[in-house]
Amino acid sequence: MDIIDIKGLVKNYPLGETTVHALRGVDLTIQEGEFMSIVGPSGSGKTTLLNIIGCIDFATEGSVKVHETEITALTDREVTDLRLHKIGFIFQTFNLIPVLDVIENVEFPLLLMKNQSKGEIRKRADKLIDEVGLSEYAEHRPAELSGGQRQRVAIARALVTNPDIVLADEPTANLDSVTGAQILELMKKMNEIEKTTFIFSTHDEHVLKYAQKIVKIKDGRIER
Amino acid sequence: MKFLLTISLRNLLRQKRRNIFLGSAMAFGVMILITANSFSHGVSDIMFNKLIVYMTGHVGITFNEGTGRRIPIFRDKERILKVIQNNIKKDEIADVDEAIGMFCRAIGNGKADNVVVVGIDMSKQVSEELEKEYMESFNVVEGSYDDLARDDIENPVLLSRQKAESLNVKRNDVIRIRFQNVYGQDMAARAVVVGLMANDNLFMQGVLFVELKNIKKMMGYRPQECGNIQIILKNPVRDAVKTADRLHEALNPGPAFIAGTVRGAAKAGVTILPFMADNDSKRIMRESFKLASGRLDDVLAKDGVMIGRRLAGLIGAYPGSKISISFKPRFADKDASFTCKVNGIFTGPPDEEEKLIYMHESLFYKYFYSNLPDIIKDKDKAYIPPDDSPFSKALGTEWVLLDRTATTDDATKKEAQIAKKKIKAMTMDVNTMYETASDVLKLEGVLNLVTLIAVLILFFIIVLGVINTLRMSIRERTREIGTIRAIGMQKRDVRSIFILETVSLTFFASICGVVLAFIVMELLSLIKFNVVDNPMGILLLNQRLHFLPTISGIIFNILFIILIAAATAYFPSRRAAAMSAADALRHYE
Ligand SMILES: Nc1ncnc2c1ncn2[C@@H]1O[C@H](COP(=O)(O)OP(=O)(O)O)[C@@H](O)[C@H]1O
Ligand SMILES: [Mg+2]
Repeated sequence: MDIIDIKGLVKNYPLGETTVHALRGVDLTIQEGEFMSIVGPSGSGKTTLLNIIGCIDFATEGSVKVHETEITALTDREVTDLRLHKIGFIFQTFNLIPVLDVIENVEFPLLLMKNQSKGEIRKRADKLIDEVGLSEYAEHRPAELSGGQRQRVAIARALVTNPDIVLADEPTANLDSVTGAQILELMKKMNEIEKTTFIFSTHDEHVLKYAQKIVKIKDGRIER
Repeated sequence: MKFLLTISLRNLLRQKRRNIFLGSAMAFGVMILITANSFSHGVSDIMFNKLIVYMTGHVGITFNEGTGRRIPIFRDKERILKVIQNNIKKDEIADVDEAIGMFCRAIGNGKADNVVVVGIDMSKQVSEELEKEYMESFNVVEGSYDDLARDDIENPVLLSRQKAESLNVKRNDVIRIRFQNVYGQDMAARAVVVGLMANDNLFMQGVLFVELKNIKKMMGYRPQECGNIQIILKNPVRDAVKTADRLHEALNPGPAFIAGTVRGAAKAGVTILPFMADNDSKRIMRESFKLASGRLDDVLAKDGVMIGRRLAGLIGAYPGSKISISFKPRFADKDASFTCKVNGIFTGPPDEEEKLIYMHESLFYKYFYSNLPDIIKDKDKAYIPPDDSPFSKALGTEWVLLDRTATTDDATKKEAQIAKKKIKAMTMDVNTMYETASDVLKLEGVLNLVTLIAVLILFFIIVLGVINTLRMSIRERTREIGTIRAIGMQKRDVRSIFILETVSLTFFASICGVVLAFIVMELLSLIKFNVVDNPMGILLLNQRLHFLPTISGIIFNILFIILIAAATAYFPSRRAAAMSAADALRHYE
């Protein structure tokens, strides 16, 4: 089943007098359970595309359907809820909340959902932290962790709500190659355990060997 | 919500230096506000409960008798006291005083000075607390306060050491005083110094204190008469106006009359009624009066009376003849009597023709007040025309009760109008401190200004500080905001995080501010000011600043400050929450 269905996606950014054409007509479908990579040089539109898929940015033209729902038709409140329940994010710069420790960071999206007991939340977060191998660090603040460890926390946080799709924007760009490889392996493993769809972007051809499916992007267009 | 609060509090700790700075500024502002407020409250307390108590009371009843010279006298003290007793609840009233004072020339040993002599009622029972307060404020250092009440000394007097020096007198010396009594006669009296006071109360330094009954005697009051009344309330701000209004209603005068016996050729019981001499009343009399003999203009003159036709026949009176009238006064054993000329003879209903004598008010009130009849007892004997009789509106009352006024300005206007009317009866006015002591109360306005300035300072600290601090925090945390929005936090919650941050900081700062304020007040009230001839001295209590913080005031202030802070934080917080998550995530600094 298609989890994402994009047709004729155009994204323009106004920049002073001119317009930046970040995406110039993208058609793309993503199936459930895929482990897909979007690859392209810096500035090619990867982040823009992922942001639109993740419902934190909106298309200038074209249609974006998540689970058959046209997202441009939703209110901010509904879109926010959709992100909370259906989508997980992993960022290049990890983006953990510095005032919360590891376990609290992972619990954070569950607390926003407001539909589970404290005990359930703690149990679920513990499980994820265990799966990313950080049980020992559960009570550490992000500042006390290495880059690789922080990205593991981010993976646990992205997966804790059991989303349909996890979007990772250059998750290894701020890591050394060994750690980066470990992170991708972890993502792959989680893709298998949790059956979650993963899309990650990269400008590094080396990491492509992990991808099951590769989409190349250049100057805002998909290259076939 | 608890989880948002946790994040807010931890974020507060994260930017310690900046928040401590803002928090200290807020605490400072709160300290100024609470201190200013407590000071202002303290001064109000001094004003309402100490100064005004000595000056005018919270509610006053003032009397003015006579036309040229206005005499502050009411002829039936018991009656006025009863009205007060019946119309003010016991637990609302603290004290009722007769305010009697006079300006005198005092001659000591080879030195003379102008003084004010004030009466103190030593016969009154006062609470121990009040007694102690009196003792403290009099602070008699030589001699004794209690000697004021002694009968075996001629006019015992208490005065300040400063005055004693200016008169060159010591304890047991005699001061001669010269003054005018209430009737305008020049008088002289001797007073013996029984004590010297060492106090720094400006109001007491120029004053010679004597026992109330002594000063009343000197000034020509008889024992049943009283001067102006001052009422001291327990809660003046709440009760003063209400009480004055109630007393005013209760003091509505009845008709004035003298029920007596007239003697001519024969003897007959009569009622003498005053007709008023203002233009309206005179017109009424002219229009509805029927004369059997005499001219109306002569009849309305001040020098005589009009009697009914039947009565004239009965006692054999005619225009120009003299009749003699006697009646039983309330406060004398002997009958009072006077003679007057018959100016005219009127016709009318049989009762009126037989029983009434109309007298010009100028003449009437002289006899009425100097030998007050027993109005209540005589009511049954007297014949008073019904209210709907043609000239009942032109008849005089026991006294004229002036309308209530709210402010000094209104009271002054009222007085000017009254002066124009040339009222012959005694006038009675019920007033409150808001009319009589407004100069003192104006101080309250000044103090409110001080508080307002404190509020403004605080307001600017909060507005500028909060906006600035939030702007910095939001800029630093833009990517974090983008992250939590991307993860799925609603705008509203993001907004709450920032508002909660500000509110909690304000709350903690307020608590610190309150603690600081108490320390500052404690320290300030340690300072002893030695102001002797500065009017600002009245703002002090026992030479010290007087702070009176109240719990409700403090709570109100804190809530008010938190409200301002929350309102100020609202807009930047809302902007932060409304940022596009995508833009926020791309933000690098
Ligand atoms: N908010 C924005 N305003 C203007 N231009 C933007 C904005 N975001 C991205 N762009 C431009 O859009 C193009 C695509 O950017 P991006 O999606 O971030 O590429 P990538 O992630 O592949 O590096 C770039 O040229 C970038 O400069
Ligand atoms: Mg990018």
